[in-house]
Amino acid sequence: MRSLKLYFKKIGLLLLASTWPVLGWAQVNISGKVTEENGQPLPGVTIIEKGSTSGTTTQTDGTYSLKATSSQSVLVFSFVGYTSEERAIGNRSNINVILLPDTKQLGEVVVVGYGTQQKKDLTGSVASISAKELQRIPVSGLDQALQGQVPGLQISTTSGAPGGNTNILVRGIGSVSGGVEPLFVVDGFPINNSGVGNPLNTINPADIESIEILKDASATAIYGSRGSNGVIIVTTKRGKTGQAQITVDAYVGMQEPARLLKMMNTRQFAEFVIEGHNNGWLDNGGPNAKITDPNSVRSASYRIPEAWQDLNNLPKVDTDWQDVIFRNAPIQNYQVSATGGTEKLRYAISGGYFNQKGILISSGFERYSARLNLDGQLTKRLKVSMNLAPTYTSTDNVPSTGHYGDYNIVAEALSMPPMIPVYNPDGSYGNTFDLTNVGMGAIANPLKTANEYKSTNAQFRMLGNVFGEYELATGLKLKVSVGTDFNYYNTNTFKPSTLSGSASLSPATSSIVNTSDVNWLNENTINYRRSFGNHSFDALAGFTIQKSTTTATTTAATNFADDLLENINGGQITGGSYTVGQWSLLSYLGRVNYAYNDRYLLTATIRTDGSSRFGSANRWGTFPSFSAGWRLSEEPFLKNLNLFDDFKIRAGYGFSGNNAIGNYRYLGLLSATNYVLGNTQVPGLAQGSFTNNQLGWETSKQIDIGVDLAFFNSRLQFTGDYYNRRNTDMLLNKAIPAVTGYTTAWVNIGELENKGVELALSGKPIANRDFQWTSSFNVTFNRNKVLRLGSEGEQLFSDGGRGDVSITQVGQPIGSFFGHVAEGVFLTQEQLSTHAKQNGAKLGDLMYKDVDGNGTITDADRTIIGNPQPRAFYGFNNTFSYKNWSLSVLLNGVQGRDVFWAGAVFVRGYHGVQNNLSEVIDNYWKSPTEPGDGKSPRIIRGALNNNLRYSSFFNFDGSYLRVRNVTLNYNLPQGLSKRLGMQTGRVYLTSNNLFTFTKYPGYDPEISNSGDNMLAAGIDYLGYPPARTFTLGLSLTF
Amino acid sequence: MKAKSLFLSLFSLLILAGCQDDFLALSPETDRNTVNFYKTAADFNNAVVGTYASLKLGGTYNTSLYWMGEVSTDNTNYGVTTRQAVNVDNFQFIDHSYTSLNDIIYAAWRDHYRGISRANAILSRIETAGIPDNLKAQYRGEAQFLRALLYFNLVRLYGDVPLVTTEITEADGASSLTRTPSAEVYNLIISDLQSAEQVLPVTYGSTDVGRAPQGAAKALLGKVYLTRKEWDKAATKLKEVITSGRFQLLPKYADVFSFATPTNAEILFNVQYKSGNTGQGSGFGPVQASEGARITGGSMRYVTADMEAAYETGDLRKSFSMKSSYLDATGQLVTQRYVSKYVQFGALAGDSDIDFPVIRYADVLLMYAEALNEVGFNPEAVTYLNQVRQRAGLAATTATTQSSFRLAIEQERRVEFAFENHRWFDLVRTGRYITVMNAKGLTVQDFHTLYLIPQREMDLNRSLTQNPGY
Repeated sequence: MRSLKLYFKKIGLLLLASTWPVLGWAQVNISGKVTEENGQPLPGVTIIEKGSTSGTTTQTDGTYSLKATSSQSVLVFSFVGYTSEERAIGNRSNINVILLPDTKQLGEVVVVGYGTQQKKDLTGSVASISAKELQRIPVSGLDQALQGQVPGLQISTTSGAPGGNTNILVRGIGSVSGGVEPLFVVDGFPINNSGVGNPLNTINPADIESIEILKDASATAIYGSRGSNGVIIVTTKRGKTGQAQITVDAYVGMQEPARLLKMMNTRQFAEFVIEGHNNGWLDNGGPNAKITDPNSVRSASYRIPEAWQDLNNLPKVDTDWQDVIFRNAPIQNYQVSATGGTEKLRYAISGGYFNQKGILISSGFERYSARLNLDGQLTKRLKVSMNLAPTYTSTDNVPSTGHYGDYNIVAEALSMPPMIPVYNPDGSYGNTFDLTNVGMGAIANPLKTANEYKSTNAQFRMLGNVFGEYELATGLKLKVSVGTDFNYYNTNTFKPSTLSGSASLSPATSSIVNTSDVNWLNENTINYRRSFGNHSFDALAGFTIQKSTTTATTTAATNFADDLLENINGGQITGGSYTVGQWSLLSYLGRVNYAYNDRYLLTATIRTDGSSRFGSANRWGTFPSFSAGWRLSEEPFLKNLNLFDDFKIRAGYGFSGNNAIGNYRYLGLLSATNYVLGNTQVPGLAQGSFTNNQLGWETSKQIDIGVDLAFFNSRLQFTGDYYNRRNTDMLLNKAIPAVTGYTTAWVNIGELENKGVELALSGKPIANRDFQWTSSFNVTFNRNKVLRLGSEGEQLFSDGGRGDVSITQVGQPIGSFFGHVAEGVFLTQEQLSTHAKQNGAKLGDLMYKDVDGNGTITDADRTIIGNPQPRAFYGFNNTFSYKNWSLSVLLNGVQGRDVFWAGAVFVRGYHGVQNNLSEVIDNYWKSPTEPGDGKSPRIIRGALNNNLRYSSFFNFDGSYLRVRNVTLNYNLPQGLSKRLGMQTGRVYLTSNNLFTFTKYPGYDPEISNSGDNMLAAGIDYLGYPPARTFTLGLSLTF
Repeated sequence: MKAKSLFLSLFSLLILAGCQDDFLALSPETDRNTVNFYKTAADFNNAVVGTYASLKLGGTYNTSLYWMGEVSTDNTNYGVTTRQAVNVDNFQFIDHSYTSLNDIIYAAWRDHYRGISRANAILSRIETAGIPDNLKAQYRGEAQFLRALLYFNLVRLYGDVPLVTTEITEADGASSLTRTPSAEVYNLIISDLQSAEQVLPVTYGSTDVGRAPQGAAKALLGKVYLTRKEWDKAATKLKEVITSGRFQLLPKYADVFSFATPTNAEILFNVQYKSGNTGQGSGFGPVQASEGARITGGSMRYVTADMEAAYETGDLRKSFSMKSSYLDATGQLVTQRYVSKYVQFGALAGDSDIDFPVIRYADVLLMYAEALNEVGFNPEAVTYLNQVRQRAGLAATTATTQSSFRLAIEQERRVEFAFENHRWFDLVRTGRYITVMNAKGLTVQDFHTLYLIPQREMDLNRSLTQNPGY
């Protein structure tokens, strides 16, 4: 502190000296304070009189004072990263100024692979997003916060569970059999995207300073064989020179289901069952079947529970099962951080605790995190840094996607008849087990499932790295870093003997999976940055080495004596496995940035990767890229117009790879192939998979053409990019001649294209002293098309949980929906007789399109009936600030995609078995004279027409517009903060997922049963719906 | 400056360290794979066992060879009369209307090559392996014997076939292989068997019974020569087996197939099965608790009326090999001829112990007789035929000319090896397939002496040509 005071004294003397000559004129004494929009003081702001070089800087508390030459003078307040402000002095002696951060300032530095670059010099497609944009969204992971904020970055929350999965795509789906998600680089460390649940949950969003998304090949080629799906660089907060700043952040809130479905009540359901079972009996009961047939005559499927037969005398129970499984759940987050330091040593320390209970009972997520980032300037030339971030997370899971037979409590709740009580009079849980011989499905009680089924995850991750940077000569720096990522996680499941999907019970079962994933990295780079006259160079060369070892042990137990111990120790170990997966990577990389006259920009990068994942004959891959930019705004003919603050055209082409092809894929594995010798079984081994020593990476060749524009003192900015990303050498399991001894082999053969346009517009329409409005909009259009598969006409089917409904074939987007086209309902006898022959069809049944035109509806009439990938997605972000108040509204949306609501086969299935949406009873076709809404089929169990076959009847428009986040923020007035001993303080109220505009009838169109499997995307199988969240938070800085 | 040199030296050290490709050569620690396998004698033993196991695949002795060797002839028929989409392939063997999409024919192609590739993997690596010479020789001999057996089946079923003798390690390594003239394929078969007979043990210890002994290689070589119409070479080789004294006809025909005597003096080589629900059981017969009891499951193979009539009166083999009716699971009597040769009373479906014979001594005797007779009618040949007939309870043959003796051999082989997948191969070998079948009213044509090349293989390898007639 003493040295700091001394420092300012010196500056004061200096200022005094500089103003000496002008003393005696009509001098004016001016003082005041410069703050950020949240009221936090800004030290180090330069204040000069316009047209002179004299001025001062603000103190640590943001105050300044200076003597201006005249009251006519204009003061210019400027600070790096903030928009400069000018104030005429007039007759004022006190001028307070709020500087607004220049979010897209041209001088902004962005993090790129293995270095930083000024935004104005970028020639590739890199999007940058600051911590501020992320941290107002109360979620567990940064990925959820990024949704809608970056063009080209498509994020879908496929599960609304706390800590649930998101799917992240940069510029579309880049692979059929390999990985599709981008590489995550945290403070220079490319991490394994592994763990339980969502691996990004191990990074506390509150520790993040900025996120950069590298999108085109020019930007990602420096990551070589890992760059083809894009790269997301996460940079955490570092200490700044100055007094210690201690910040306390906390928010607490409540979550509720964003939407509930309107299901049938007891009376409606009874009518539904009677109708469905009578119709089913007529269809299936033979020529003499009548609806008056009693249960004793009918086969079990078409019986009707006795107690439900008289609509006027139904059970008095009317359970809303959604009430049973959903709850209002708390969410809370606390973070304490301290930053500060001296020129020699700077620190950022934080500790955080996050706890989110799920809106489905028995689910929740918890995180304890800490971080220490240190930077030391040991000598004038030597700098060392260290990052250390231990994180512990634990998750309580509840089964929440798929069939109720798999204990999905959402499916159990929605399928359960409303006349079943939660608890029977004897206190036991209600279920349908005793109704299975009278035509009902066996549905377990979801409350019982949630209470008794145990599934927990825990994860400990310690990401740490140290690096030293030595300046060998002016502009020439050598950087050596060593890092490790220790990642341990386990999954523990236990099903007690009391829990069963049917009336019969079986002993408890349990399993545990323990995984350790240790990943180390050494990087050595030399950087040379120099300018000579109009030429400026920035060159980088490096060598990196990385290795990862993942070890997983699985143990399963059954034959539990009782349910006392809820883990494998309670039973007999019946199975186990141990797997070790390793990969190693050696890389040489280089990059040259060259700028001439600040106008002509060139970037060339190259990386050569040697990877253990590639076949021995193809172990090294080289990935070059080249890009150029032209800053037209610096050309005299445009500069003189004074119109553009920036006008840059960019173009780039390059190669990057996808090495997410699995470890050892090229190697043939042997499997047990036993035989009998000496009248005894003896072990034998035979190779079961083909050895392909040529197997290598998937290649992405990408062209990107972009333009960056800034007008009106950079208050309006535009960035547009066109890209064409062609993936070749895609990994596929190709059919090969059986003469080889094998029928398939993994080969690099497929081709895929993603092309699209990204547009981003941001501006500050209003920037008054008291009122500001900032706005940004981005939209992305992407088209995905498969160009080549293993063989001509190949159809790769994928099962997202409800059969092979997703297809990948040449000429179509990956994972298109494949099924019958439902053309409506047979309403007249004439339709029945003129329509293509449809076996078993009767009035009220669904009518399918005769695609092949052969006059009969068969499997051959299935065709592509939808695409789960959006035609466009967009985000729209607005912030309005008035004095101490600000209001931010983030909207995001997706347009033009289809969702297969697999859940509709149950809850909108018109079958009279599981409970259905109440609209079914309002709309169904009852008879020619009561045809319902004319679009809905009849209610029937076991229709000979098979109305439940996969058809477009179960597909829905998955477009939506979501009010993703609304934040109302209030900065405590300076006076109040001071009195409370704080520098600044703010309180805020947010709502996440406030409202969604969509035609989708299920809980949420983003949910998907198959997670990151893009071959079967967009299948909502009654998954975990997202919550609507309200939180109240405060952030205090001392 | 100290720091500077420290950094520089560290940097260069790491570059040097990194240059080693060893760092990148990782192989799975928890899976057996082509990098860590094929090192020790135990590895090669396991690989050889795995190659024997290829004889139990669907496309080899498990299913395809029965359809291609038996059902396509006058011995057996399908038994099912309702034609459906699911049994198109089966009916093609009744109608002789084979298409290139027939999965049974494709499976034979696929699984024979699967076995060959296992043998090739051994043969490509064993010479340089550091294992004891005696074991090396034995394993090499076994792999060569199995490769020869599989190629011998292939060349007889399909004619010219791509000849692969080394491990293929490139995905398109077989995508343009042409069909090798059958003469060259035979050259490999013969050289494999010649070298196998040099090194294969004459007998094995009790724990290794089931492996191919020297006699099996000689007998198979004899059969190859017989097929090649090299009568003298065939006779010489088969005589070596006979004079070795290692093998003999069992007094009782049924004992040859008894699960109680899984390996016996008549067996030169068979496919080994073992019950116990470990996937090693045989499923060639129906499930029956005891003689005459109800048949409650398992697989039924159906015998033609012509086959039933082929047995001479008093032939002891008939009642063992086939039955004319049975009680079904409900106790109904079903009049239907079926194969009873492979029934093990009390065994579960697909899990009997009965081995499937590939080469047995009776075959050696009849082949030897055939080879002698082809040179000219020979009284010595008659004695060998009569040994087989005598055991069956039949009188000596009445044939006294070369041509009548040929027919006597043909007849004897039919009933002796009934349902052992010999019939089609035998008749094609003697050039009698068309004549005999047409005489029985089965409409086979000249080109049916070879099966067709599966469409899948033609699609994946444009260099393959289809057999004439198809």
